[in-house]
Amino acid sequence: MAVSSQSLFTPRDAQNHRNFTIWMMGAVLSFITATLLIDGGWVPRAAGWALTAVSAILMVMAMRSYIGFIRHADELLRKIHLEALAFAFGAGIVAMMTYRLCERLGAPKLDVNDAALVMLLCWIGGQWLGARRYAGEEE
Amino acid sequence: MENRLRVLRAERRWSQADLAERLGVSRQTVNAIETGKYDPSLPLAFSIARLFEMKIEEVFTPS
Repeated sequence: MAVSSQSLFTPRDAQNHRNFTIWMMGAVLSFITATLLIDGGWVPRAAGWALTAVSAILMVMAMRSYIGFIRHADELLRKIHLEALAFAFGAGIVAMMTYRLCERLGAPKLDVNDAALVMLLCWIGGQWLGARRYAGEEE
Repeated sequence: MENRLRVLRAERRWSQADLAERLGVSRQTVNAIETGKYDPSLPLAFSIARLFEMKIEEVFTPS
């Protein structure tokens, strides 16, 4: 069954989601730029701290706009996003705890970023699953 | 919870999108309520009842 974001978003939701996406893209671009510049040694230490601060501020703004998006969202959309967040949080914890045991059994060491990646993917997947679960043909 | 939303909407010849616009929710929300996949919040249930000029228990009944 096709899932259309147009039928799931009210105009206000679409606007709030656009705001969140813009902040998020800014934060990701800033993070990547800061990482490359700092790792490459192309910026002095003080500039590195400034880039880190800019990146952190953009991430906080993205987080704030997502909270605002959820707070004002259509109630079904809010339910879908909260379920996706619960799924992502739970999957992240399960993956982290299980992998700790796997490491003791000889699996390669992973760091905290890998758990964050699991959470991110599950958050996106959870939204898709939720949208599918409540989808229906237009009448 | 069961509801008569689809019938009430059809009586007025409204599409799901029409009803969604009147209620300020998404078309998907109206569809999910009609198909019983989602029970609305109390404020939305009251808005629906008010829109159809009925009591809330005339639109929604416990299953």
